[in-house]
Amino acid sequence: MSKEYVHPAPVRVWHWINAFAFVLLVITGVQIRFAELINFLSLEDAVRLHNWVGFIVIADYALWYIYYFSTGKIRLYYPNLRTFAADAIKQAKYYGCGIFKGEPNPHHMTADNKFNAMQQKAYVMLMFIFLPAQIITGIFLWQVKGFENYIDMLGGIRIVDTIHVLIFYFFAAFMIAHTYLATLGHTPLAHFKAMFTGYEDH
Amino acid sequence: MEKIKPLCLTATVASVAFLACIWTASSALAIDNETCLECHSDDTLTRTESTGMKDSLFVDLNKFKYSVHNVNGVACVDCHADIEELDMDNEVPHAVSLAPVNCGNCHDEVAEAYQNSVHKKASHKGVDIPCYACHAYHDTTRLAMATVSERQNSFCLKCHDPYKAHDWLPAKENHFAMVECTVCHAPEVPRHVNLRFFDLVDSAFLKGDVIMRHLQTDPSGFTDLIDKDGDGTISQQEFEDLVLMLRQKDIRGVFHGELVAEINPIVHQVNRGKANRDCSQCHSVTSNFFQDVRMTFDMDDGSVSSYNVDRQVLQTYFVTFNALGTTRVRLLDKIGIALIAGGVAVVLLHLSVRLFTIPLRRKKLDHPEA
Ligand code: HEC
Ligand code: HEC
Ligand code: HEC
Ligand code: HEC
Ligand code: HEC
Ligand code: HEC
Repeated sequence: MSKEYVHPAPVRVWHWINAFAFVLLVITGVQIRFAELINFLSLEDAVRLHNWVGFIVIADYALWYIYYFSTGKIRLYYPNLRTFAADAIKQAKYYGCGIFKGEPNPHHMTADNKFNAMQQKAYVMLMFIFLPAQIITGIFLWQVKGFENYIDMLGGIRIVDTIHVLIFYFFAAFMIAHTYLATLGHTPLAHFKAMFTGYEDH
Repeated sequence: MEKIKPLCLTATVASVAFLACIWTASSALAIDNETCLECHSDDTLTRTESTGMKDSLFVDLNKFKYSVHNVNGVACVDCHADIEELDMDNEVPHAVSLAPVNCGNCHDEVAEAYQNSVHKKASHKGVDIPCYACHAYHDTTRLAMATVSERQNSFCLKCHDPYKAHDWLPAKENHFAMVECTVCHAPEVPRHVNLRFFDLVDSAFLKGDVIMRHLQTDPSGFTDLIDKDGDGTISQQEFEDLVLMLRQKDIRGVFHGELVAEINPIVHQVNRGKANRDCSQCHSVTSNFFQDVRMTFDMDDGSVSSYNVDRQVLQTYFVTFNALGTTRVRLLDKIGIALIAGGVAVVLLHLSVRLFTIPLRRKKLDHPEA
């Protein structure tokens, strides 16, 4: 079995900081929203931690952004419009059926073509819509009074809060699916290992 | 059947009423305000202190006129009670040095509550904080309708900078804008959420009279108009109907909510280290800080009408009051739980099929040609 270097160091650093921070944000977020049900942190600590970790995610997003754009690797995220639809269907069929029969994955992960069509679609939305929206609404909620004008432009604090909470639930659900999908390598732990070492097996 | 009564200020009025008897008896033979103002409406009337400072003795009638005391018939000599007569032959017709006014003569309950306060206790250290340090004296106003910022700016903020004292508090500006200091600092005091109608077109709070006029009603008819089931509380449905009615009259706005202390003497019991720092007491759905929600309208005649409102309305999009956790929109949680449950279900399903089909794949691996 050959190995290919697919995940360069900055990407791995970004990924694990992000993963760890997201888990913390979900936990503190749940504590903040359900203070009457859950009590493993005082609300005061939960809010403070949530704010700090929020800024870590922002810095981490900047790392991702700078790395991907400065190296031009951002192309990995752009779907090939010509083959995109067909690829996505092929990929969905694989996950829904072929994988059980032991058929090979139609997508072959290489450093230049890292994401399959479904991943591309998901990650483009995540990195260019959901995460930025979450960051912006998060900053607004952090200083409600200071960003009053912008909040009003978006239609008020309720709307901002609604966006933040919906995306929060979306991310929570995404993380479950993402973790599970990561076990679909040739062994359940293969992708996890790769995300530490940088090398994917072929 | 019980109808919503404007909670007005009947209770306070009643409690002060009997005091009213005491002082009207004395003011029968007392000196009227005009006599005092003969001299004291002169804005050049000053006195030079021993320190050389000039002290104004001017009383601004334009302000005094609208003070809660004048409106309630409290006269100069009711407060400056040691002036029993004026001897107009003297340049100063009364004692040159008068006794300090004792607000507690009339507000005895408050005066007593105030004993148990860091501000009163400071007198042991030689710091004297009289009632009027917060309330002013010739232009004392009613507080029920005052916004949080009015209450704070004219009170606590004169002496304290809250940004120096609350390092631990997240979203400080928001707290100070929406939560009256005493809600946290006099933790015993009952509190309620005060909703006032904010006109989004004019960007201003709308006077009660204007709203009543548009609804073609008055404070007593308002109840019948809005509280259709007559249960004494404006329910969420009734509340949304009200917003709709206003929209139909082309009034677009939201109800602006603030957490304020009850007008109650124990609001004065501010003490060091006694403030409420348990955030989750407030920020949880079960919090009793938000049980009592009222919609208040201030009328041109200076009265205030307020109506009980079901706390459910705090979750609607017509109320700008966002206390983390407390006023959350439950629908979002349902959507969220559906999302997560859906994710988990798909994963579990996929995983079980994957486990279930292991033999299939093993067979294929053993007999690649099959
Ligand atoms: C004839 C003019 C005149 C009239 C009438 C008059 N005052 Fe005065 N008042 C003065 C002067 C002058 C002083 C300043 C005394 C001084 O030099 O310290 C003064 C001082 C005062 C002070 C400050 C005293 C202190 O201890 O600091 C008060 C309070 C006061 N007057 C209230 C009243 C009231 C109430 C009335 C009506 C019942 C009244 N005055 C009527 C002229 C008047
Ligand atoms: C609610 C009670 C109250 C009423 C009513 C009232 N005063 Fe006073 N007045 C005070 C207090 C308190 C002070 C502050 C000094 C003190 O404690 O005597 C004061 C101070 C004054 C002073 C000293 C100058 C100053 O402004 O500090 C004058 C003069 C005076 N009052 C005149 C009047 C006159 C004239 C009227 C009627 C038009 C009047 N007061 C009504 C409570 C009152
Ligand atoms: C440290 C500031 C402060 C001082 C000093 C102070 N008050 Fe108050 N007072 C308040 C606040 C705050 C409220 C409540 C307003 C609210 O709910 O926002 C209030 C409310 C009141 C009310 C209306 C409540 C009721 O029960 O009728 C009266 C009357 C009153 N104060 C009188 C006094 C008197 C008399 C004194 C002196 C013994 C005094 N205050 C001293 C801050 C103060
Ligand atoms: C002669 C009696 C008397 C004196 C002395 C007096 N007041 Fe009052 N005060 C009243 C009356 C009467 C009202 C109106 C009460 C009502 O209708 O609730 C009132 C109302 C108030 C209110 C508004 C309460 C509310 O419900 O919002 C405040 C604040 C207040 N007084 C503060 C003071 C302060 C401060 C002093 C001393 C400088 C003082 N009063 C002295 C009789 C008095
Ligand atoms: C006239 C000025 C003045 C006003 C107005 C005032 N305070 Fe104070 N406050 C003081 C002083 C002076 C002390 C310190 C007393 C001492 O050292 O014993 C104090 C002490 C305190 C303390 C105890 C903590 C500390 O720093 O010592 C709290 C809490 C407090 N004030 C809250 C409030 C609130 C809430 C309000 C508004 C309702 C208010 N104060 C209005 C002057 C004021
Ligand atoms: C969310 C609740 C909350 C609000 C709102 C709030 N405080 Fe405090 N404040 C506290 C707590 C908790 C402390 C910590 C000291 C304590 O336990 O008393 C504190 C401390 C203080 C202190 C220093 C007291 C000390 O013991 O050192 C002052 C002064 C003070 N606050 C004034 C204000 C003023 C003025 C406002 C309104 C603008 C305000 N606070 C609003 C909760 C609050």
